[in-house]
Amino acid sequence: MSSLTEPLSTAVAELEDDKVIDLVKERINSGIPPLEIVKNLQAGMTEVGSRFETGDYFLSELILAGEFMKEAMEILEPHLAGSNQEYRGTIVIGTVRGDVHDLGKNIVVMLLKGAGYNVVDLGVDVPSDKFVEAVKDTQTPLVAMSVLLTGCQEAMKEAIDALKGAGLQAKVMIGGNYVDESVLKSVGADYFGTVASDAVKFAEQVFAPQ
Amino acid sequence: MPDAKNGLYEEKLKRYTIAMDVGKPDKVPIRLNPSEFVAKYAGLTHQEIYYEQHKNMGSVDKFLDDYDIDALLAPPSLWWATMHDAVGAVYYRFSGRQLEENRQFQYVEGEYMKADDYDEFIVDPTKWVLNHFLPRIHEEFAEPGSYRANVALIKGAIGFMMQNGAMHQAGVSWAEKYGLVTGITGIGKAPFDTLGDTLRGLTGVMKDMRKQPDKVKTAIEVLIPHNAYFAMATAAGDTVFPAFFPLHRGSYPFLNPQQWDNFYWPSLKAVIEDLWKHGKRVLFYAEGNWTPYLEKIAELPDKSIVFHVDTTDMEKAYEILGGRFCLSGNVPNTMMSHGKPEEVSEYCKRLIDKYARDGGFIMDTGGVMQMDVKAENLAALVETTRKYGVY
Repeated sequence: MSSLTEPLSTAVAELEDDKVIDLVKERINSGIPPLEIVKNLQAGMTEVGSRFETGDYFLSELILAGEFMKEAMEILEPHLAGSNQEYRGTIVIGTVRGDVHDLGKNIVVMLLKGAGYNVVDLGVDVPSDKFVEAVKDTQTPLVAMSVLLTGCQEAMKEAIDALKGAGLQAKVMIGGNYVDESVLKSVGADYFGTVASDAVKFAEQVFAPQ
Repeated sequence: MPDAKNGLYEEKLKRYTIAMDVGKPDKVPIRLNPSEFVAKYAGLTHQEIYYEQHKNMGSVDKFLDDYDIDALLAPPSLWWATMHDAVGAVYYRFSGRQLEENRQFQYVEGEYMKADDYDEFIVDPTKWVLNHFLPRIHEEFAEPGSYRANVALIKGAIGFMMQNGAMHQAGVSWAEKYGLVTGITGIGKAPFDTLGDTLRGLTGVMKDMRKQPDKVKTAIEVLIPHNAYFAMATAAGDTVFPAFFPLHRGSYPFLNPQQWDNFYWPSLKAVIEDLWKHGKRVLFYAEGNWTPYLEKIAELPDKSIVFHVDTTDMEKAYEILGGRFCLSGNVPNTMMSHGKPEEVSEYCKRLIDKYARDGGFIMDTGGVMQMDVKAENLAALVETTRKYGVY
């Protein structure tokens, strides 16, 4: 199924959580540069993402991967201080005001990070001005907004209007249980995703070398 | 209530039950779950319907004055925040307390059951709930057996009785004034959802299926008779109306096919079969997309469920389940919020033409409605169904 040969990447792709953690610790102790370890983890996550896209993996696998990736990154974090990680770009993401659901958002964050992006996660119940502020600070060309049900979609429109009002050009992708063409038009977004891996595809488009 | 509103109740009841029996009534029945839209329509805030029972129930009258429907699933709020406050519930947040006055209530999911709680849970679930679960989810019940906890139990029990009484009374009044039929009696869950929503939470149960699958399976088995009993008890034994089963983690793509086949389905099927043996039907409220599982669902006894379509492929649902089970729903919530009345009308006509021609169909939206539904779109749904949905 996969062309991965590197043991840590393979362990991630195969969801061998204990092995992933052991290998991360082992490699830190043997002096392997932490950024290289991150790259191996990311390669594994990219494979997890593509297995999800092809229907071999489901949300249950993504959630498990999210759990051990969090643990692995916590171990790595202190060692990463001072090292300059190279990103393919920065993306701002958040669940809009009024909504506290974060399952979908967290999965998208994980896949985007796995694909090599710097993700600024604003969390849940994010007011419009926080989106504006984060986009100004990061100068990102892409913002992702999540909302589970239709009831809070108005807040998405408010946030997008606020971005436009502030003269920001960032593209906006939206995701949630009830998003489709009609919601896209109504809130004024640029992309809508119905599965988590759509977010990576839109990012590839936005960050594609000109 | 045979004389209610000059036989209107009987007429609606017949329409609704014939459809659930996969028969052809006089018209396509309309059963809605308009939820908080009702409150907005009546000019009320979220806070008012969560905290003031008379407003919560009363708002339905204004809705029924204007929309001619057959059956209603529930009043705008199923949650009486006052009662939850009285026992210090930590798993809900309500407007007027933790939230602004016009915000929808929130359920705070957590690992209220710990990974090492399984053994004790399996031996005696009710005892475990009383000793461990209730104290974790209610501040007032933190120390079981204490004066404060005992008072909390009394307050909670009284609160539930008051709420159930108010709901019952409201139901009687709607039947008398509008001939309205209740959409459901009783409520239940899939055993996996009890574990995966309520007790362990989503992340917890996903880890458990990998780390301690046998315990997950045993816990789910223990829940089968419990959940069947709960549905029957909350229905007070009624078998005319279906029990409401809001189903969550079984929707695609939460679980992989092995997990669905092993963990989700057998226990839910057992609960439904058990209820059907007692003549109790289930409103299989399949939130999200259940398309890959339709063949499995077709294993259930004929007529034992009403299969509710949210974002499941309607064509496939009809192809696989139609004729053996009543189908309901499928008008997209996005269309109700962002679409135009003409689009809603077209959509309803298409549903009636394609899926209701032989009966066994109930008009409803795909998911529970919220405040953002446009009143004119709801009017289009009702009027179109009344006009075109005549057999």
